[in-house]
Amino acid sequence: MATAKKDPKKSPTGTKTGTSAAKAEGAAKKTSEPDDAAARVAVEGFADSIRLGTESSAMFAKAGGLAVVCLAVSAALGASEGDGFKRWSYGYIAAFGVALAITAGSLFWVCLQHLVNAKWSVVVRRIGELFAANMPLLAILALPVVVPVVLGNGVVYEWADKTKVASEEILKHKSGYLNPGFFLVRMLFYFGFWSILARYYLNSSRRQDETGGSEIAPTMTRVSGPAMIAFGLTITFCSIDLFMAVEPRWFSTMFGVYFFASCVLGVHVTLILTLMWLQRRGRLATTITTEHYHDLGKMLFAFVIFWAYIGFSQFMLIWYANLPEETAWFKQRFFGGWGAVSWTLVFGHFVIPFFGLLSRHIKRSKALLAFWCFWMLAMIYIDMYWLVLPAINVEPDVRAMDLLALLGLLSALVAGAAREAGKKNLIPTKDPRLEQSLAFENI
Amino acid sequence: MSDSHEPQASESGPAPLHGLLAEYTTTGDILRASKKVRDAGFSRWDTFTPFPVHGIDRAMGIRMTILPWIVLGAGLTGLGTAILLQWWTNAYDYPWLISGKPLWSIPANVPIMFELTVLIGGVTAFIAMLVLNNLPMPAHPLDQVKRFARATDDRFFLLIEAADPKFDADATRALLDSTRPHAIESILEDRKTSDKLPTGIIYALVIATVASAVPFALAAKARYTKSRSTRIHLIQDMDAQPKYKAQRENPVFADGRSTRVPDPETVAVGELHEDDHFYRGTQNGAFARTFPPTFRVDETAMLRGEQRFGIYCTPCHGFGAEGNGMVAKRAEELAQGTWTPPSNLTDQRIRDMPVGEIFNTITHGIRNMPAYGPQIPTSDRWAIILYLRALERSHAAKIADLAPAERTGL
Repeated sequence: MATAKKDPKKSPTGTKTGTSAAKAEGAAKKTSEPDDAAARVAVEGFADSIRLGTESSAMFAKAGGLAVVCLAVSAALGASEGDGFKRWSYGYIAAFGVALAITAGSLFWVCLQHLVNAKWSVVVRRIGELFAANMPLLAILALPVVVPVVLGNGVVYEWADKTKVASEEILKHKSGYLNPGFFLVRMLFYFGFWSILARYYLNSSRRQDETGGSEIAPTMTRVSGPAMIAFGLTITFCSIDLFMAVEPRWFSTMFGVYFFASCVLGVHVTLILTLMWLQRRGRLATTITTEHYHDLGKMLFAFVIFWAYIGFSQFMLIWYANLPEETAWFKQRFFGGWGAVSWTLVFGHFVIPFFGLLSRHIKRSKALLAFWCFWMLAMIYIDMYWLVLPAINVEPDVRAMDLLALLGLLSALVAGAAREAGKKNLIPTKDPRLEQSLAFENI
Repeated sequence: MSDSHEPQASESGPAPLHGLLAEYTTTGDILRASKKVRDAGFSRWDTFTPFPVHGIDRAMGIRMTILPWIVLGAGLTGLGTAILLQWWTNAYDYPWLISGKPLWSIPANVPIMFELTVLIGGVTAFIAMLVLNNLPMPAHPLDQVKRFARATDDRFFLLIEAADPKFDADATRALLDSTRPHAIESILEDRKTSDKLPTGIIYALVIATVASAVPFALAAKARYTKSRSTRIHLIQDMDAQPKYKAQRENPVFADGRSTRVPDPETVAVGELHEDDHFYRGTQNGAFARTFPPTFRVDETAMLRGEQRFGIYCTPCHGFGAEGNGMVAKRAEELAQGTWTPPSNLTDQRIRDMPVGEIFNTITHGIRNMPAYGPQIPTSDRWAIILYLRALERSHAAKIADLAPAERTGL
């Protein structure tokens, strides 16, 4: 643990550059300087403050409050539409896509680190575990989507409506899969499985903090293999069920991977911004270095390209085959007002961030990296909006209730993670690879 | 050989000093020493370690490499090349319509754009990396130093070259001494090995370069000359089979044809099409005005006709038989002047046409329309005509034709 002992006199890094990060993650909070005595106490030889301490509950109250207010106002605006929450549901599903991308992405990311026995990421991993543990919360937040389907209300998912299904051959043909009962079973399975897996990883990791058991890390690695396969299948079908099923006449076997790209982007954006916020609050000040940001930035960059690769592959196959039942979906999105959104995605989600994140200097600059994280977060939302909303709106039409739903759901994730963080460690202090992670350097 | 001869000539005096080599046993030592040498302002010096040592680039004050910019430039060159290549070949030099797509469109070109960006970027990264590192380097004075062999094992070395403007044999040795090395050794210039590429390798490279042009030269020659010999057939597959193909010469028959016609005055079993009405649509030499009695006019025939009409006729004539199918629309859009528009089958002219004549047209084709006789079985042709008659009828439908219940639905 020689390298783990940091020089306590070293001033915390990154208090200057992470301004923008703190604003979003902290939801415009202004707290006193992080001289919280409990948090400052050196834990197990760490000079760094590695616990959120009392700030956890303050953060939970603030973010949680914001979430409740935003979601309530959003729902009220939705009700005032007088269309049985039809328009509101679409906006909510798009926002839910972003929340699911971040949470499921975190779970995937944690599994991935164990699967490849990653050493650099050990100091970051607990943050991923905390966000993955939001899964039960997300299951509750999925209720506005799932309950109407189970009740046979087809305002959003037409296939939930029995009379509509009976009147259309395509829906009838797909009703073996797309029916309320099976949908409910699947949702229970997805969120149940993910919740258990996320809880398993967080609890194992914390047990390791306490006991330092040498058998815990290899066990987590063994679990990660099968878990990864199961994750690949569940995220594919879940994205199909929640987002592709909004337009049940269309289909694409690539849709799951496309959503998965958003998941991986979502988790890296979340990790980077959360770490910047924590460092601004004086936590993990010397534990997390530019090297860790650099690596997270590299992954973000890689998956900007991955998203474009998958998105384009999906488009090109449909464009080339030119079958009416497939092209209709793109036609709706490429002409009129949605055409502008499509071009925004091509440039904003790929071309611009590609060149923006290309340079090593940018990935090693906190301010610039934070800027691109916010940029990509916005793009993930526009992507989800572009996937879901054309089903109801012929022209793009952004309402306050859509944005409030997004803000509410993201705040709920922050609140959930803050509550889960509690007064416990923000890094796995007894992970056998911790030393390597602390000393990690890119060449 | 002159290369190796020259050093031998000057071997009389002692070899000049190449530099000073310091040996260290830990990464911490080499890092500290590097910082000292860096701060002393040396420029021609280097370190050698058995594995990448974190922070050594900072300790040595190495500037950021320009390799990323070279690779970026190469990647963009690849991108541009791909765009130009595809535009030139597909849209300009040899326009070729593929599955109805525009001659030049970005989606079809993206895979090649991606591939060439990666290919040229990657190959350039590899070559530029070698060049920037002064590689390949056939010989270096350190090759002759015995202790230096441990640079690939467990020791760390620092070499300051005598060619450095700040180099001073005594002062530099004192500086290195102050870094507490395990050992210091003076390295002399190597007079045994040439630092030039071996001539054998140079010849091999020249020969390989020339040889690589041979296939292109042969291809170019083949383009502009004629030959009577058959093409080289590496993979035989099923190209050469012991049988006579249609249109080929056949020595077995007197007329030399492979394609045989039936003997005159003979009819194959099941091919005797005596019923003129059914098979040719004629009655007593005139086109029949009624459906043949052997063709059952019922709902099954009507549905069959609708399906066959949809398959064979709608591409040109359209679903309403008005001559506005997709092919017709597209042909009109292209406006090439060689297109005869398909008939509107709901015209009075076609309505008045005897069914036998329509049957004849389907069977043998007319104007642009090819003969469908070989494709559509006889009874299906009659079914199509039956469905067409229904279509024509529907075009002239009056409100009174509908049942009262149906009228309210309009």
